[in-house]
Amino acid sequence: MTAINHHLDEVILLDYHRGRLNAGQSLLVETHLEMCPHCRTSLRLFDAIGASMLEDIVPVDMADDALELALARIERPEEAPEPRVAPELPAYLKGIDLPESVRAAAFKPRYWGAPGVWMAHLDAPKDGRGLTYLMHVKGGMQMPVHDHQGLEMTLVLTGCFSDDRGAYHPGDCVSCDEGDHHSPLIAADDCLCLIAANAPIAPKTLLGKLLQPFARI
Amino acid sequence: MSFDRDDLIGSSTRMIVAETGLSRGGRPVGVPEALILRIAEGRDRAAYAQLFSQYAPKLKAFMMGRGLTAIEAEDLAQDALLNVWRKASYFDPSKASATTWIYSIARNLHIDGLRKQKRAQTLPEDLWAPEPEQAPDTHLIGVQDAKTIGVLMQTLSPEQREVVRLSFFEDLSHGDIAQALSIPLGTVKSRLRLALLRLRAAFETRAESKSAKIESKSV
Ligand SMILES: [Zn+2]
Repeated sequence: MTAINHHLDEVILLDYHRGRLNAGQSLLVETHLEMCPHCRTSLRLFDAIGASMLEDIVPVDMADDALELALARIERPEEAPEPRVAPELPAYLKGIDLPESVRAAAFKPRYWGAPGVWMAHLDAPKDGRGLTYLMHVKGGMQMPVHDHQGLEMTLVLTGCFSDDRGAYHPGDCVSCDEGDHHSPLIAADDCLCLIAANAPIAPKTLLGKLLQPFARI
Repeated sequence: MSFDRDDLIGSSTRMIVAETGLSRGGRPVGVPEALILRIAEGRDRAAYAQLFSQYAPKLKAFMMGRGLTAIEAEDLAQDALLNVWRKASYFDPSKASATTWIYSIARNLHIDGLRKQKRAQTLPEDLWAPEPEQAPDTHLIGVQDAKTIGVLMQTLSPEQREVVRLSFFEDLSHGDIAQALSIPLGTVKSRLRLALLRLRAAFETRAESKSAKIESKSV
């Protein structure tokens, strides 16, 4: 795998570490972490920072029988964890080289957003206004300039695209925020991305807006 | 927890509590790393009792700061230490200090709880597994202990330290932090970003000089 050049923002990583991201954003972060030793190191740093605070904290007494309970619990045989059944990979993803975390996630059936573009939404409980989906774009296409309504993170899974800020390869992550606008160009190969957007407007409308100006080159 | 406490507390565990004298404010002794190794190697209950007394009240305090009720925080501290017992064989003191390892277990349990995903076992077996690839920037920072970070924290400006502290200690969004400090959200984020990058740079420098020393020794 080529080296990753575009990393997650440290503040987003910290929010992941604090458990403040929604399911889709967490999936995106976990997928990037799976691919990126640099960001894994940041996460370990955060654990060490948290630990340093734990060392200095003023303790709060546990219940009187807490230690007895703890010692009793370790006597109990460990229950075997329920085997986690990975959802079956949808047909449209078969044959694509995917990170484990994406494989283990459940996506709804795909639909075509425009000629050469399909999308599949993450099957997760509705969590705020967040919207997370896979987007597969045929090689050679260009998305006309569009702007962003809120934080949108895009993680490249396969293929490559570029904009005025650089080229993005598998593992690379690009964040756009309110006011940003760009015009991504997809390289020769088909490009599959995982996108987690904090859309302030209805999903269908946003997608419609995004995709309506798609043009085949 | 749905089991009956009295059923569980057998006579053997009562004896350990009596022997170690730790159940009522006894002072824990022993280096925590050594205690975990004693658990890993000998299923040492006395070592576990010491570790529990040392860490559970701190984890409880930490989790109450993160917005859990006293009962939830107590349960989480219990669960975290139970995982310490079960996963002790995965602990490697060359990768993480005891406090860092225990903290990372508690953090994982906490965010899993937040996500309310009812997966029975989501903790990876080895939270501090060796890096599969050795990219230059992955010099293990795990070897650094929490005390080192405490020292590095002192190199931050008071403003940077404050946003870091709030991010870890309080269950606040960046917007809440901005409000609490009466500064713009963008300032909170840039302070935080700078502070984290600075800690990371200091961290890596130390890790590199450490690994350089090890290499020169082995020549
Ligand atoms: Zn990264």
